[in-house]
Amino acid sequence: MEKIKITLNINDKPYDVRVFPNDTLLEVLRDELDLTGSKESCGEGVCGSCTVHMDGNPVRSCLTLAMEATGTKIKTVEGLATEDDLSDLQQSFIDHGAVQCGFCTPGMLMSADALLNKNSKPDEKTVRKALAGNICRCTGYAKIVEAVAHTGNPQDHCPDCKTGGKTKE
Amino acid sequence: MSDYTSDYTIVGKRMPRVDSRAKVMGKAKFTADLKLPGMLVGKIKRSPYAHARILNIDTSKAEALPGVKAIVTGKETKGVKWGVFAYTRDQQFIQIEKVRYIGDEVAGVAAVDEDTALKALDLIEVTYEELPPVFDPMEAMVSETELIHEDFPNNINVHVNIDTGNVDENFEKAYYIREDTYVAPEESYFQAEPYAVAARFDHEDCLEVWCPNGGPHMKSKPLSNAFKLPLHKVKVKKIAIGGAFGGRSEICPVDYICALLAKKTKRPVRIQFTREENTIATRQGHAMITTHKTGVDKDGRVLARETTCYMDGGAYSSTGPIATSVPFLSMEQAYRMESVRYNGYRIYTNKPIRGMIRTHGRGFACGLDTQLDMIADHLGIDPVEMRLRNSRQPGEYTSTKSYVDSCAMDETIHKAVEKSGFKEKWGKLPPYHGIGIGTNSVQTGFPMGIRGGSQSFIKFNEDGEATVMSGVVDNGQGNDNMLVQIAAEELGLLPEDIHLVSADTETTSSDPGSYSQVSTFVGGHAVKIAAQNCREKLFEVASKLLKVEPDKLAAKNRLIFVKDDPGSKRCKASKSIPIKKVVRISLLNFNSVNAEGGYWPKVDMKREWVKNPYGQMCEAFSFGTTIVEVKVDPDTGQVEVLEATAAQDVGYGINPLVLEGQFEGALTMGGQGGMLTEYHEWKDGRCINPTMLDYKLPLACDMPKINTIIVESIDPKGPYGAKEAGMSIAMSAAQGYSAAVSNAIGVYMDSFPLTPDKILAAIKGKKAQAEKKTSKNNAVN
Repeated sequence: MEKIKITLNINDKPYDVRVFPNDTLLEVLRDELDLTGSKESCGEGVCGSCTVHMDGNPVRSCLTLAMEATGTKIKTVEGLATEDDLSDLQQSFIDHGAVQCGFCTPGMLMSADALLNKNSKPDEKTVRKALAGNICRCTGYAKIVEAVAHTGNPQDHCPDCKTGGKTKE
Repeated sequence: MSDYTSDYTIVGKRMPRVDSRAKVMGKAKFTADLKLPGMLVGKIKRSPYAHARILNIDTSKAEALPGVKAIVTGKETKGVKWGVFAYTRDQQFIQIEKVRYIGDEVAGVAAVDEDTALKALDLIEVTYEELPPVFDPMEAMVSETELIHEDFPNNINVHVNIDTGNVDENFEKAYYIREDTYVAPEESYFQAEPYAVAARFDHEDCLEVWCPNGGPHMKSKPLSNAFKLPLHKVKVKKIAIGGAFGGRSEICPVDYICALLAKKTKRPVRIQFTREENTIATRQGHAMITTHKTGVDKDGRVLARETTCYMDGGAYSSTGPIATSVPFLSMEQAYRMESVRYNGYRIYTNKPIRGMIRTHGRGFACGLDTQLDMIADHLGIDPVEMRLRNSRQPGEYTSTKSYVDSCAMDETIHKAVEKSGFKEKWGKLPPYHGIGIGTNSVQTGFPMGIRGGSQSFIKFNEDGEATVMSGVVDNGQGNDNMLVQIAAEELGLLPEDIHLVSADTETTSSDPGSYSQVSTFVGGHAVKIAAQNCREKLFEVASKLLKVEPDKLAAKNRLIFVKDDPGSKRCKASKSIPIKKVVRISLLNFNSVNAEGGYWPKVDMKREWVKNPYGQMCEAFSFGTTIVEVKVDPDTGQVEVLEATAAQDVGYGINPLVLEGQFEGALTMGGQGGMLTEYHEWKDGRCINPTMLDYKLPLACDMPKINTIIVESIDPKGPYGAKEAGMSIAMSAAQGYSAAVSNAIGVYMDSFPLTPDKILAAIKGKKAQAEKKTSKNNAVN
């Protein structure tokens, strides 16, 4: 098998990379481009840890061939923050305590980001449905769901909506 | 006595975790993310047989494959056996004579890439002589086939016997006695991060290792023994860890194999497990058959209990003595059991190795609670009252002679009952709706000899910020943040002023590890004492500058100020001085500002799991109550959980935000997954659902509303009064879920988890019984 040169557009930057036809997008992101934010947990498209956006839609990068990604716009967890500013969703994850071990977090963020791009004020049920393809073993999802639902919609009853990352009463 | 006050600035507050920024940016590095120059890919050749003698291993073809850099087999280990305890050394890092489960390690390969390494595995030719396997623990005890380990007769690996005396006499005094048997198969951790290890030898021939762990010092010691290297030459490094849940506590054979490959190739090697390997070749939870016999008086107070538990231990000992004891200990802590006899047998079978798990013995605990509900039912007592009549009280001793100091078990029951509306709902819910309660208790630590204590070092830098060193590891539960909060509180700094160096065996002192629930109680305590010692040094310097006695000073918000001076609270008074300035003045006076501190819990060092299971186990116990409300579909057997309420006595809540997350996660693993969907299935010793596709983990859309209640008993010995947090919820959640389902269908379940097939069969059985009764009545009429 020969490697083929392709160009991938990732987080608005072009990357020239040589890949085998059977290389997955996840392998190329992690092994060739050092974008290790996307994780492999199940390797069979079940857990969602490898979720990235392809033209705005969440896809499993462990089931997507790198070659399929040519000509599309790929966004990974590394593309959520601008310079040193976190996105509102990332900040909300921090403030609501939605991160524990952090291994599922990148995939969870990408699924949530895709939802919020289509529906900026999702109700709890919609959030749970949108995240049903992302497995988290630590949190029980409660704080993740809160973090997503409250992004851009701070709730008066929520003690964590206004912390801004600081210690508070 | 506790030095608890309510006047804290940093602890006791909802604080977002210090490690979360790197994690939301995808910058946190886990072992599989590491790239070391010249790194090779390692893979493991595993046994395809459950029980077989190894006759020959031919690696010549594999070695000839271009790109293969090294192959290691058991020959290189000289057959050295490893075990957590001196009396459980039964596992070779690579098997030489025989294999004992499908997945046992036979050889390791290091190659330039994964494809080459996998090809090499296929080219290693192993000749086996198959031996009769045994998969059922009850069969294993009477089987006449070759023993799994020749020095363990009847395949009994561990026998824990606890007898407090007067058991038979008290059964005679009992008003009502029940004996019931409960079963549960194996469950798994399914940490998000599949196991991985990277190893290399540095320019000074020191071994560097990165891997998920429940305590880096628990990894470095066996590696130092195996490689005959002094401890300072084995450096287990800090790395982000994607969950442990009790399953990553001890050395894993691949840690050794990876290091051996690195030694042989003189290059870094990384081994990454597949999801299937993570399930079968790390650890699993024990399958259990538990018989509880309980005798009570007329009021439902337990007079005598006898419990016998048979645990399927799999192929090797692992943490067997601990895992055989903890299910019993948790229940003797939760409930008074003055007269009790316990026999726990851990039996070898030709299945994957079982170890410690967050929900220690779901079948054991749920069985005990189900039986209490049955007894309460018989006596006309409600489940809440039944628990209150038997619950542990502060100031008592457990049946194995541990003094219980702080204990707010009753408060967790009362608060959970109130929040869930249990009293209004009990007995009044519509058909197939149910509500149930579970209570449990977990020990904050075990006697661990020289590894029972933790020590911390703190140094101030000239910019007024501090570096804190601690052996505590963070598996994802928030230990790093806990250490930072404690250090910032004591030093009068802000969390961002603390630089934490932790979980690294080169720079930090020994620590018991996070798997024994002592990270806060012991490791956090050590940091607190070190910080207090460091603060004293600051105060000595500051007292001269401020011209007051050191005991009149306090530190807060980067300032040292005079206590009770109203102006200083606004940080503008003349009687305050920045900590940074104090540090610099101290340095100008030729004194660096640093300190150490340690904490060793006063436990009974003579207590031993098997030989002497009596004496002070640990200094504190946590207590938890979970109440669950469910709706069962009688046509499908599906359970919908409507609401769950979890209350735990954590001693003191250092970070309520983190604690809530621990409760929610624990309830999800122990209750939702542990009692409704999670179990392993087997065919001839092969696990047939090792992946996330087949093993059903709870999803966001499955979860009910969870109410979390933090109960504080302010333990006199814990830092700020804190003790274990979270595990009492994982265990009581399993009990609460099972009680709720039993209540909904009107059948006391004895086989866990409560999957739809079992629920449907129970409903059908109940209906058939009712019909039989009706037809009998009709015939009589």
